[in-house]
Amino acid sequence: MEQPERSTSLAHVRVEDLTVAYEKPKQAGTFTAISRMNLDVARGTFVTIVGPSGCGKSSLLMAVAGLVKPAGGRVLVNGQPVTGPGRERAMVFQDFALMPWRTVLDNVRFGLELQRWTGEDLTARARRYVDLVGLTGFEHYHPHQLSGGMKQRVGIARALAVDPEILLLDEPFGALDAQTRDQMGTELLAIWERSRKTALFVTHGIDEAILLGDRVVVMASKPGRIVETMQVELPRPRTLEMMDSDRYVAYRRRIRACLAGEQREERATIPRY
Amino acid sequence: MTGFASWKSSPIVLGVVFFAALLLLWESAVRFGWVNPFFVSRPSLIAASLSREVQSGELQRNLAVSLGEFAIAYGASVMIGILTGLLAGRFCTLEYILDPFLWFLYSAPLIAFYPIFVIWFGLGAPTVIAVSFLLSVTQITASTLSGIQNVDPGLVRAARSFGASERDLLWKVILPASVPMVIAGLRLAIGRVLMGVVVAELFGATAGLGFSIAYYGGLLQTTNMLASLVVVVVLGVLCTQALSALEAHFSYWRTDLRI
Amino acid sequence: MAHARNTVAYRRTVSIVAVLVVLAVWEIAPRVGAIDPAYTSQPSKVIAAGIQIVRSGGLLEDISVSLAEFAAGFALAIIVGVPLGLLLGTFRVLRYLLDPPIMAIYATPHLALLPILVVWLGIGMQSKIAVVFVGGVIPIVVNSIAGVREVESSWIAAARSLCAREWDVFAKVILPASLPAVVLGIRLGLSRAVLGVVVAEMFQSQAGIGNRIMRYGSEFRTDYLLFYVLLVSVFSFTATWSVRALEDKLWTSGK
Repeated sequence: MEQPERSTSLAHVRVEDLTVAYEKPKQAGTFTAISRMNLDVARGTFVTIVGPSGCGKSSLLMAVAGLVKPAGGRVLVNGQPVTGPGRERAMVFQDFALMPWRTVLDNVRFGLELQRWTGEDLTARARRYVDLVGLTGFEHYHPHQLSGGMKQRVGIARALAVDPEILLLDEPFGALDAQTRDQMGTELLAIWERSRKTALFVTHGIDEAILLGDRVVVMASKPGRIVETMQVELPRPRTLEMMDSDRYVAYRRRIRACLAGEQREERATIPRY
Repeated sequence: MTGFASWKSSPIVLGVVFFAALLLLWESAVRFGWVNPFFVSRPSLIAASLSREVQSGELQRNLAVSLGEFAIAYGASVMIGILTGLLAGRFCTLEYILDPFLWFLYSAPLIAFYPIFVIWFGLGAPTVIAVSFLLSVTQITASTLSGIQNVDPGLVRAARSFGASERDLLWKVILPASVPMVIAGLRLAIGRVLMGVVVAELFGATAGLGFSIAYYGGLLQTTNMLASLVVVVVLGVLCTQALSALEAHFSYWRTDLRI
Repeated sequence: MAHARNTVAYRRTVSIVAVLVVLAVWEIAPRVGAIDPAYTSQPSKVIAAGIQIVRSGGLLEDISVSLAEFAAGFALAIIVGVPLGLLLGTFRVLRYLLDPPIMAIYATPHLALLPILVVWLGIGMQSKIAVVFVGGVIPIVVNSIAGVREVESSWIAAARSLCAREWDVFAKVILPASLPAVVLGIRLGLSRAVLGVVVAEMFQSQAGIGNRIMRYGSEFRTDYLLFYVLLVSVFSFTATWSVRALEDKLWTSGK
């Protein structure tokens, strides 16, 4: 478990010996979502985290976001321990989490209002980010009038508008259909290429993980932990055509082997009655 | 069901036509002597009675008394109910304190407390107002509380992730998110207030719509009694419709809304 | 919010303490002369009154009268309300026809019908049964309609794709799927029905719990009055709670 000494200045986000546990509802005891995890994320990299459901990948993101308190260890951002949400991090949620009574524009404004942005017209700034995600003309729609893909564009615009250093994306395309997901992934990359913000992207899709990430972190469950991290040496900008390359196929095989290996082990540990 | 597609566009027409047919049936059934007019009167007589009451000012007087009691009871219960519900939603200790009483008041037949209010306040308007207030405030408090408790935790989490303070959470997430439930509570409560006013007036009052119904009932004047009842029905429909419209206005964004 | 405040034990303790405090204040305040006991009575006196009422033997008679009126009226409401609601939910034209009258009765305080029902049916049990019926039937009809209309159309399509006949679709899909809404209607109707029987007896009657409440009210016997009022409240609470338990069971079995 001992980590070799590394310079903290390199890691934009550092996860140190992190344990996340939840109280089990209506019974005594706790459920360990993540156990003693270590991870370094360098500034400006796009890291994807892939794993089966229940492996604690969302919990990892929540801990980095400062939305759950670690039961052990800590998360450092710019060398400072995380004690709660902060301006340098912004999150995109799987269920969009848009305020249903606010219009598209006002939803994008939401984060700016909460962070007390001044010195600039908030509506004008929000409008720029609505443009950025391609929702011009829909400013005054309410979320229930939008498709899932459009809702998540609002979610992404809301996160980008507060100009965070680190983007946290919790299965942002998980609720979308396959075609929309591909398209949204491509567009997210295009936006990201321009700003090169540090990004932590949680997904259960292997293809999404390879295609988006500079680095893929593979997680396994019970308890949640990292089983493999892998550099993705595909050139940027990435395209869907790269999925046919030998290198891509090799990455894919390796990740699947990691996940399958874990599953075999898990099956073997199930007691027989 | 496709054969009825042409009816689909005109449910209101269909309803109104049927309603008119019912009135016509009622009128003719009495005129042709199929039923005893002493028991059921008939629409034209009721209309005549209403216009007489309007001309004599009797209707306006009763309406003013009932509406006055109604306004005081409803206004007070709206203010106190929403405030209590909000506080209980924010401070769980207060919720736990109120919980058993709220449950009791919500499931008890509150009008049965009428005689005790008479002992406290005497016969008349104060008792009518107290009973109606109690009926209404229970509903509004319960609805407001449940509105706050049922705010989507995902929205709260999202707001927190953008650094929302407790104050921000209250004003920018919890309050706007619970508006539809609060207004649904107001809609349910308005029916209860009307019930409280009319029934309390039935028992003991010297004026008001409920008094009028009981008074003419005691004299066995069916036509006049039904005339007052019609006014109560119209009042009930108007109140409910108004609040339903208000609810629709404030809940346009709720796709999960059920009646 | 502190962690300890979310536990079930904390919640229960606070609730119980709150009830005990209110009961204690109610008991002590008249004793020390803070309020006139004639206005509020006291828990101990209410209990004493209860014991006396039970001993004197009249209680069972009153309960049986009220309960008989309630049972007859509410049974009638279920027998009429559930099929009517299912029918209206299934057939659109029928629903459009009856919607305005049903909505009008729903929006009207149904207890305002008391005087006319007394004129029609007299001051005996019949008028009470009628009030209970009117109070109970409307929520049952309205919720049964809603239950049928909210049945997932994909379930019906699934049944049709398996060659279900119309009757099968109704009996095997629509009926079980709308059951939770029907039971919700019964619960909402229940409290209105209990209210109906008590208020109808308070209005004009010769026997029953409501009759006692009104009589002891006019005699300023606060302790007797409160015993009967609490008795009815406990009954209403218990009945509603039982139906709610049934509902929870239905919802969980439906998932």
